[in-house]
Amino acid sequence: MSAECQDEAWARPSAQSLRELVDLEAGRISPRIFWDESIYRLELERIFARCWIFVAHESQVKLPGDFLTTTIGEDGVIVARGADDQVRVLLNACPHRGNRVCFAEAGNARRFTCNYHGWSFGRDGALLGMPAEEVYEQTCPGFDKSELGLVQARVASYKGLIFATFDPGAPSLDDFLGDYRWYLDVLLDTDEGGTEFLPGNIKSVIDCNWKVPAENFVGDSLHAQWTHNSGAVAMLGTGVGKAKQDSVYQANANGHGMQFGFDMVGNAMTLGEPEVVQYIREREALVAERLGKLRSRMVGAMGSATLFPTFSFLAGLNTVRTWNPRGPHRTELHTWVIVNRDAPSSIKEKYRRGVMRTFSPSGTLEMDDGENWENVTRTAAGVVARRQKLHYALGLRSQVQHEELPGNVHQRKFNDSNQRAFFGRWLDLLAAEDWSQVPGGR
Amino acid sequence: MSQAAETNPADMIRSPKAPQFPALPDRDLVFEVEQFLYREARLLDEERYEEWLGLMTEDIHYWMPGMQARYRDDASAGPLIERMAFYDDDLLNLRRRVTRFMHATAWAEDPPTRAVHIINNIEVELTEAEGEYRVYSTFVNCRGRNESEESWLAGRRTDLLRRDAGGALRLARRMICITQTVLLAKNLNVFL
Repeated sequence: MSAECQDEAWARPSAQSLRELVDLEAGRISPRIFWDESIYRLELERIFARCWIFVAHESQVKLPGDFLTTTIGEDGVIVARGADDQVRVLLNACPHRGNRVCFAEAGNARRFTCNYHGWSFGRDGALLGMPAEEVYEQTCPGFDKSELGLVQARVASYKGLIFATFDPGAPSLDDFLGDYRWYLDVLLDTDEGGTEFLPGNIKSVIDCNWKVPAENFVGDSLHAQWTHNSGAVAMLGTGVGKAKQDSVYQANANGHGMQFGFDMVGNAMTLGEPEVVQYIREREALVAERLGKLRSRMVGAMGSATLFPTFSFLAGLNTVRTWNPRGPHRTELHTWVIVNRDAPSSIKEKYRRGVMRTFSPSGTLEMDDGENWENVTRTAAGVVARRQKLHYALGLRSQVQHEELPGNVHQRKFNDSNQRAFFGRWLDLLAAEDWSQVPGGR
Repeated sequence: MSQAAETNPADMIRSPKAPQFPALPDRDLVFEVEQFLYREARLLDEERYEEWLGLMTEDIHYWMPGMQARYRDDASAGPLIERMAFYDDDLLNLRRRVTRFMHATAWAEDPPTRAVHIINNIEVELTEAEGEYRVYSTFVNCRGRNESEESWLAGRRTDLLRRDAGGALRLARRMICITQTVLLAKNLNVFL
């Protein structure tokens, strides 16, 4: 809160003006939220510098010195494992003149040295030294290296996923995830060996607002059979499978959401790798023992998910991705392949290729998404287009009580309930001056 | 990854260290290879994907690794076959992609993407195998979409061309390395 007030003066949209853009009761949302610069700046402060943001999987920084670089909002960070085996998240900005101190996207390093004046930092972020150190000591009153380390974020992990936040007032990661952990386990905890990311990271740029793909993954099952018909024909020989409306659910907690059925392999089949489908089927009893019968049927089922704000995944298809904001009208997409660590190497290899050919920039399914998302964003530049309120009213009365499914549960496949919950959380965060004002349990 | 298990594709088509300048191939062979690559590029520009598939050997490996920005002293700088890729395809999977391209509901191809493949710096090397040639080339690829969208890619290719039973050239291996680590486009709806 205080950090915000010290920022240069610019007109923050008021809580009242934001509420007028998002009418959750009627299911109507203004396209201005995808276009306005002032809203975007507020998002950087109140969502990205405030929430727990996914930064790495533990398998990407296995050994001391392993590091990767990524971003939290538009702040560059280094995720590094120290000699003490601790993973830290360090602001990738030198406290001397602000230059990046690490330019590689991944690797193993003993230290991070700024290219500009040679200030050098340990893997724990501490300032180790710089050229002409004695001149600083002689001429800078009170010069203290221990005060000039890289800014550090809070770090916590959940079953292999490492998250970070720069907000000391943020709740614990467990509280931030809340009931959503039950759904995350369908991705992360179907095997006692846990998960890992396969090597590599495919990145691309989509000229869209970051919320457009995030809300697509949180619950938009409706687009699949239309947008992705050609991809489904390529991979399955037929269009996207039809499911009964009542056999599919949407569930959300704290703005995180998942839409899913219990068909076990609908997503996985799209990879075009019969051995993967067989692998999932063979493990059904094992997973049921671990997570219960219901979740054993969700492991590879048709569906999609977003962990608020920018971490999305497709269970069974095993693509994991983040939508990194690069201005209000640009998103940098980072994608990975997640697998059970103890899966046979032949299965991992089939996942690697299967995800590539479906959900990567060259993928038969992803290829048709970007154009829609760019144009959803671009049309919001128009004065008249900005006056219309977009329709998010599917499933307004679809909430149900379910004896096993936690969180807010809605029944019916074609549904905007998770999208409304996503934007509800978005609104709560933007309207709050600090975490104490964010309503809990949404 | 049957073939990858035996040999790293990057090694298989990498230039031998010595001699630096192997004996020049016959001018007719160079001309034949150039015409093969130009024709292949035109088939792609004209979206004649079935004919393009016809240029492949049955065991084609079409590989476009993801590029990474790593430090020079990083032994795993790559590209490496076990990392995520843009393409890492056999004939079946190239065909699956073509199926999507040609389907009436491939919305991101309608209006059609206008692509130009500019192929250059073609070098031909003889290999130990009779009728098999290692071919280097560079490309600039421009895609235009809808009204004002434009996307540029530049890269280097290393190919293995092999003569089929009838003596015609076929593409057996291709490695494509682009200059971008972050693909500066929303998709890659083009073969390179």
